[in-house]
Amino acid sequence: MYETIRSRLNSGQALLLDGALGTELVRRGVRWRKHGLLTDSDAVEALHRDYLIAGAVILRTDTFQLNPRIYLNVFRNRSHMAHIGAPGLAELTFTLLRKSVEVAKRARAKANNHAAIAGVLSPLEHCYRPDLVPPPEQARCEHEEIARVFAEEKVDFLLLESMNTISEAKEALAAGRSFGLPVWVSFVLGPEGELLSREPLNRGVVEMEQGGADAVLVNCAPPEDIGKAILRMRKFTKLPFGGFAHIGRFSPPSWKFEFFPQFIETESWSPERYAAEALRWRDAGATIIGGCCGTRPEHTAALRAVLGTDGRSKA
Amino acid sequence: MSYQPIREKLQRKEVVILDGAIGTEILRRNVTWADHQLANKPDFVRGIHEDYIRAGAEVISTNSFQLCRRALYNHFRDDAHRHHIGARDLDERAGKLLAASVHLAREARERVAPKHAVAVAAAITTLEWCFRPDLAPSPDEAQKEYREIFQIVKDAGADMVLLETVNSIPEARVGAEIAKYVGLPCWVAFVCDERGLLFTGEKLAAAVQALEPLGIEAILLNCAPPEDISTGMAELAPHAHVPIGAYAHIGRFDPPEWMFTDEYPPAKYRDFAARWKQMGARILGGCCGTTPDHIAAVGALR
Repeated sequence: MYETIRSRLNSGQALLLDGALGTELVRRGVRWRKHGLLTDSDAVEALHRDYLIAGAVILRTDTFQLNPRIYLNVFRNRSHMAHIGAPGLAELTFTLLRKSVEVAKRARAKANNHAAIAGVLSPLEHCYRPDLVPPPEQARCEHEEIARVFAEEKVDFLLLESMNTISEAKEALAAGRSFGLPVWVSFVLGPEGELLSREPLNRGVVEMEQGGADAVLVNCAPPEDIGKAILRMRKFTKLPFGGFAHIGRFSPPSWKFEFFPQFIETESWSPERYAAEALRWRDAGATIIGGCCGTRPEHTAALRAVLGTDGRSKA
Repeated sequence: MSYQPIREKLQRKEVVILDGAIGTEILRRNVTWADHQLANKPDFVRGIHEDYIRAGAEVISTNSFQLCRRALYNHFRDDAHRHHIGARDLDERAGKLLAASVHLAREARERVAPKHAVAVAAAITTLEWCFRPDLAPSPDEAQKEYREIFQIVKDAGADMVLLETVNSIPEARVGAEIAKYVGLPCWVAFVCDERGLLFTGEKLAAAVQALEPLGIEAILLNCAPPEDISTGMAELAPHAHVPIGAYAHIGRFDPPEWMFTDEYPPAKYRDFAARWKQMGARILGGCCGTTPDHIAAVGALR
């Protein structure tokens, strides 16, 4: 499946990535636990389907910020988790990872669609906390565990999303490539317009290209910020590049440490306004365009309308 | 209402009944606890307090576990990042919700109008995750943050503070000092492990030694399985001069929620509480997983 993606990218066509999963599931009333994959897998599948109908040619797995640490971090240590935690927590992540691919594939099969499925990896600690990034060897090993599952489940490629430091992105990229999968790397931007770690965007892009990434993106920042970064990216790389912005404002819950997908005030970015903004990214050379937190299938449909069914800008 | 009637009961060595879980009780009633539900479902939260009062609780604790500025700020890189992409009310949200949690508990008391005295305890825990002493802020930071929190709950009308699931002596000490400074009676509840030690490895005997001179009203154990609480009680009881108490969790922590099991039905839980009473505990209640039925059962030990 990735060959189709590669050839479309090589020919300069734009590819439509799907929109947000977590925030949209929460907006649709899914109680956010285990990424909805155990209790609400039908809702997850329905959302994948809605993105396919809206025109996405890439589906991302519902695995953002899903790794063994998110469970381990709320216990004193492993033995405390075994002592007072629910049975099976140590292996739960891997069950959920497999389930996420199964659900995405089921949505694709039912829609009789040929979208590619991207296995999503993300920072091992909170995506907005570059200060918590684990040491490189540790990060490499933990990303490998996740990438291995995606390789076994035969995703079409890997998407490293919201990476907040070059160091962890490099390790995750190498981990993904060790299984022979194409890897896209997407960085989360800080308020200064550079990486959230304050490392320069150009260095991030260049290092990912050197590390063998197949595409470089920016995500999880407001549309204007994504636009500014995209204008600069063309100068740094010959790789396909792109972005997916969040809309509205992050409203974390009042008690939980790990990422919880809740964005408010998303109505300030109607699908049409978002698509108009994204058209500028396309005009700046971006060929991979989608939506991050707060976006919905309606945004994907609006993107498709301005980018055209073949991904070419109609403008 | 004030803390005085509770203090007097404890001075007479009588049993005082604390309420049971609120966060997990919200989950058990099929509602998510992601935002504490203080702003979204106030009637529902107040209703749980009312159920505990009806079950016999003499101290009810606010629905404010882990509710603090830091918990919200931790989701962002720094102030600049939070202001750039975060919800606009985040700088004030924790304070408003804390005050709301106290108001709801007070309203519950007014509505049920129990014959017995009921004190409202502001439930405050460690500033970082309760099971992770390694993440604790410096004493200077903790002092500043506890001072703000305690002042908010005092202004909102809390009768006392229940500093619960505390994992280290240093953080407990800061909390106890600030409670005194702000002028709120304070109970300190420690989480203990299966050896009856704090999560830092510190001993309960040392905790007693550190806290009693600071004027705390009671020392308790919480948020561990009943057997571990019994082990901890054996470590705590011989050293304490202030009243002591216990409230265990039952079931399993299944982040981000709770797994309910039938391992400790109310009667069996009451038997554990009876053992703690025998060991010297006078404050008895329930932590995660317990329900108003458990509190009603424990009430028989009065």
